[in-house]
Amino acid sequence: MKIKVLLFGSCREAVGSGEIDLELSDTAVAGDAWASTTQRFPSLGQFERSVLLAVNEEHASKETKLKDGDTVAIFPPVSGG
Amino acid sequence: MDQDIFEITREPIDKAGLEQRLLTGAAGAIVTFDGVVRNQTKGRPVVSLQYEAYAPMAVKEMRRLGDEIRERWPEVDRIGIVHRFGELKISESSVVIVVTSPHRRVAFEACRFAIDRLKQTVPIWKKEIFEDGEVWVEGQLPD
Repeated sequence: MKIKVLLFGSCREAVGSGEIDLELSDTAVAGDAWASTTQRFPSLGQFERSVLLAVNEEHASKETKLKDGDTVAIFPPVSGG
Repeated sequence: MDQDIFEITREPIDKAGLEQRLLTGAAGAIVTFDGVVRNQTKGRPVVSLQYEAYAPMAVKEMRRLGDEIRERWPEVDRIGIVHRFGELKISESSVVIVVTSPHRRVAFEACRFAIDRLKQTVPIWKKEIFEDGEVWVEGQLPD
């Protein structure tokens, strides 16, 4: 399936881009999108312990199931305010 | 509530205008939190703050925060949350939160809750720009 990945904050800077496209297996979960992105951009590895994920604009876990056309967002803990 | 206001904007926040838009005759108290850019972090002079937002999700999370407030404090009349993004200078407002209610206690409590929760759940990030470098502010992991 095709997945759009959005990156924000320090994760975006580590990758050098705010958006990438992935092709994942049909049984993929959000953690697979994270793993696949980290494989392509090893500089993301530093965020392994703190990274947060969202699927289609909702907070998600690495176990959240994906479907074709979903958008996965990858970002560090939020720091607004 | 339909008349609540949740916005992400690049423009300076019109605090007085936001309060006016939220003020109904039912309110007896209006509590506004205004978060502004501080000129130093641990003694190191700050030039500006660069805010980045995942805008559509940020608005959704603000709306969810509004729902949470209404569950905890049903007496609340109106809620407004506006967060700015882009580069902000010292003393400019990054976030304004307005809560109105018939009596003050609820407005104080709900407004305090709103800013604390926003800092944990709303997808916005900030980078401190110093004269000789820049650093992403580390957020806290959610509870």
